[in-house]
Amino acid sequence: MSVTATAARSSAQGEEAPASSPGRRRRPRYNRYILAPLVLISVNVVMFGLFFVWPALIGFGYSFTNYTGVGDPQFVGIANYQQLLADPSFYQALLRTFVFTLIVVPTSFVFSLLIANLMVSRYARGKVVARIIFFIPWLISPIVTGVIWRWIFGENFGLVNFVIESLGGHPVQWQSNADLSLAVVMFASTWGGTAFSMLLFIAAIKNVPVSYYEAASLDGAGPWRTFRDITLPSIAPTSFIVILLTTLGAMKEYALFVSLNNGGPGTTNNLLVQYIYQTGFQRGQIGYASAASFVLMIILMAVALVQLAVNRKAERR
Amino acid sequence: MTQTSQRRSTSRLRRGLAAVATASAAVLILAGCSGGAASAGGGATKKLTLWLSASAAQEAGYTKLADDYKKKTGVSVKLVNIPYAGYATKLHDAAQANALPDIASVPSLDPIWTNKLLDLSPIVKTESNKINTNFIAKTSDGRVLAIPSDVTASGLFINASLFKKAGVSYPTSPDNTWTWTDFIKAADQVRKATGAKYDLTFDSSPSRLRAMVYELGGKYIHADSSGHFSADAKTVDALKYFVGLNDDVTMPKSVWTSGADPSALFQSGQVVAYWSGVWQVSSFAESITKFDWASVPTPAQPVQASDVNSGGLVVGFNNNSSEAKAANAFLSWMYNPAQYKQLTEINGYLPVESGLDLQYPFSSKAAQDAFTLYNQELPLYAPISGYFNQAQTQWVLAGKSLTTDPSVTELGKAINGQQSVQKTVSNIVAGYNQQVGK
Amino acid sequence: MTTQAVRSAGSTPRAGAAGSAGATGMRRRRRLFGPESTRYLSATTLMWILACAYGFPLVWFILSSFKPAGDLFSYPLTLFPAHWTTTGYTQAWNSFNFYQFFGNTLIVAISTTVVTVVVSCCTGYALAKYQNRWLKVFLVCILATTMLPTEVMLAPSFVVVRDLGLYNSLLGIIVPSILTATGVLMFRGFFLTVPDELIEAARIDGAKELGIFFRIMVPISRPIMLTLAIFSFQWRWNDYIWPLLVLNNPDQFTLQIGIQSIVGAQNVNWSVLLGASVISIVPLVLIYLVFQKYVMNVNINAGLKD
Repeated sequence: MSVTATAARSSAQGEEAPASSPGRRRRPRYNRYILAPLVLISVNVVMFGLFFVWPALIGFGYSFTNYTGVGDPQFVGIANYQQLLADPSFYQALLRTFVFTLIVVPTSFVFSLLIANLMVSRYARGKVVARIIFFIPWLISPIVTGVIWRWIFGENFGLVNFVIESLGGHPVQWQSNADLSLAVVMFASTWGGTAFSMLLFIAAIKNVPVSYYEAASLDGAGPWRTFRDITLPSIAPTSFIVILLTTLGAMKEYALFVSLNNGGPGTTNNLLVQYIYQTGFQRGQIGYASAASFVLMIILMAVALVQLAVNRKAERR
Repeated sequence: MTQTSQRRSTSRLRRGLAAVATASAAVLILAGCSGGAASAGGGATKKLTLWLSASAAQEAGYTKLADDYKKKTGVSVKLVNIPYAGYATKLHDAAQANALPDIASVPSLDPIWTNKLLDLSPIVKTESNKINTNFIAKTSDGRVLAIPSDVTASGLFINASLFKKAGVSYPTSPDNTWTWTDFIKAADQVRKATGAKYDLTFDSSPSRLRAMVYELGGKYIHADSSGHFSADAKTVDALKYFVGLNDDVTMPKSVWTSGADPSALFQSGQVVAYWSGVWQVSSFAESITKFDWASVPTPAQPVQASDVNSGGLVVGFNNNSSEAKAANAFLSWMYNPAQYKQLTEINGYLPVESGLDLQYPFSSKAAQDAFTLYNQELPLYAPISGYFNQAQTQWVLAGKSLTTDPSVTELGKAINGQQSVQKTVSNIVAGYNQQVGK
Repeated sequence: MTTQAVRSAGSTPRAGAAGSAGATGMRRRRRLFGPESTRYLSATTLMWILACAYGFPLVWFILSSFKPAGDLFSYPLTLFPAHWTTTGYTQAWNSFNFYQFFGNTLIVAISTTVVTVVVSCCTGYALAKYQNRWLKVFLVCILATTMLPTEVMLAPSFVVVRDLGLYNSLLGIIVPSILTATGVLMFRGFFLTVPDELIEAARIDGAKELGIFFRIMVPISRPIMLTLAIFSFQWRWNDYIWPLLVLNNPDQFTLQIGIQSIVGAQNVNWSVLLGASVISIVPLVLIYLVFQKYVMNVNINAGLKD
């Protein structure tokens, strides 16, 4: 009990994150510290081997061949990789992917955290209805999301342009302008992805000991200070997960682009996955597509490892 | 006190976990059991499986045939409607798993399973069927691997209400059709007189583009005798003309560059015309209620043409001799003019057999007129109209396939100002040569 | 501290809920007219501004599903149907074997969810609470599973599933979806916040490693379990391409296969598709409401209040 109280005080004053560090450097003294985790991860290890390593190895093998989906693949060495790295449209897609990710991840993070806080706040009224409203966008399939957002941001007969024109303005090129077109996908992506992050945040916030908040309240902390000094540090592990998962998701975004602007105008909004589809699978170049996929995987792995390292540093602080 | 409550809670939890585990195990076993319910062999086959990808309305014709066949022969034909997105992949995978159906109507042939197809030549050779052999998939040694369920053609739709309001006339018979220049001029006139937004929306589809190029005298991307692809001068001109039409006045750029839905735009009532195809007729008969629409003859400048394709390719798979025999029997029966006429009428098909006196069940006058017009026009189209459909079959038989035509992506780039038309043409030609060239 | 946390976790959610609700009610009454009334006002206003922004596209989605096909794209735009109709719904309902597809999807979603939650909980705990280089590597391995595009894995995964004899069986869609990086990360993140003292104390008491996990850790992770259950249910419910490839017998088809068959090669029957979409999300909303209520009410901290 006293431990908790101290922890609450100290973290209320923003000195230390509640994810406590003692035991971090514990060495495996007994067998049970090796056996027990092995038992616990065993099912997933088997799943990982069967449904990731095995198929991924097949795909990795293809990436060194000119496989087209039929017949026998011929070994072509690293030709696919060379071709990929020499293709300017690959770099264009890579750049566009980073732009999209860098904007969508923070936006989505802020909105879902804000909404999660409102959902657990005792000050907000009418939460039951609002909860459903925030949840449903995540359930709607990309093809329907596409038709909904085209109805709003359609360049030709969309609602927003309809309103602008009724007010005497000029229609905005929501589809033919590359940046605006990307912005529309960002709106739709944030709209559809909020619920997922929101649910993660809600579970995390519900897990922060109430005593922390009571201590803060006694100190006379306002809502912003309570959020900054207690909620935010307490949910740090979840924030990390949300950022990591939304980053990976954004960098692999494909379905939403297909249904909203098909990577257009032209190919200006082709992200990496769409590049892989268009230059690889859709032309029957399974080998090339596999090579590109593994390059994508290396990029994503680098991004994830950087995030893990930054997170570890932050945890230690 | 805390100790006891802890123990109580954990035992409750363990009981809960045990219950959950048992339940999920039961479900898993159940799920596993329901697996291998495939058709058992032995004796004459009494059950056939037919895969198709169709709207509920176009499944109806097959349902009728299956019911009749069951009554007549006792053999039941089980229809499996498979979504179009993923159908080709599913066939590919089913071939790898040795789980192909007995009969299927497929969007295209796949080299991975062409060697498992039944020879349908007896059906084609039956004189009374009068099957148009331009559309069948035939190997060099005379075997017939697929017969179309129907044919489809690109075609032009107009918003007749707008034409009427503007007082502009339009051709109604292939004999007095217009040129693309005339048509655009008329559409301009209608747009200006009625305050409509655009002259035309144009499906972002290589097939629609081919049809237009043919009509303007080009051959689109065409292989020479050595199997090498190129584009003729008229094709380049036609593509330049097409790109020029995407000026956000005549045509909205968003369709070809950013995936906007041309059909939805036309259905808004603010677009004078729509370049699509016969399959829209039955859906427009229901979904357009705010204005009058009509099918008009395809423009000819000077070539009277379209892009004519097989709607679905009907194939039989050689799974085992008894099933193959049963599949053959059903297909022979299905292409019998009496049955085929029913299928065509119920599904709203353009027939692959000639000499049928078709009575389509549409209540919409526009739809009836449209089908009359398409049936009138089909025999008039220049032979080039069927080039692509034939070429596609030959590619597959040579073990290659044009998985995705690069035309839409490349022209999207041209319309978006990312590259010149000349560069676009050379990219498309390169794509053809890479995928299906020699 | 340890015992209290455990005790509260064991107490029924309802008791916890009643307790906290009562306390909130008192506070609410006291503060409604006090200086905190501005906080009510600002929080509620902010929430409803956001709800309107998020809800507006939904309003169009739901109202459009009641429009006849002819009104869907008509211009000028209308929000409300001129003539309300449910033909989209009835056509969707009749276009395939809804009940059976619903049932199949339910079996797949429930069984996958149960297994995924259990397995992810085990793995997440091991990754959070044991320090071992191989476990760190395995964490990265699990992350890697999210990094290849679906399409590149589709064909090889199919070969694997076929070779394992899972083709044309619901098991073929259930088993490959058990491993989920999201689930493992969620549990790992949660267990990182659980103080190690809890484990150390139990070890001193002589508890076995797995006993500690099942008796102490599993119960307190309930909010994460329910949250992951919502996720897993939604994922499996909306799965499309994999069930289509693995299942061959139409009696086993899942809901999304039926819904996708509305999307044709050349045209989409939007009014039917909208109707089908609305029908298919109703069960998910119901499940969410039930589970989310528990997440909100499971109050781990109830015991720490005094």
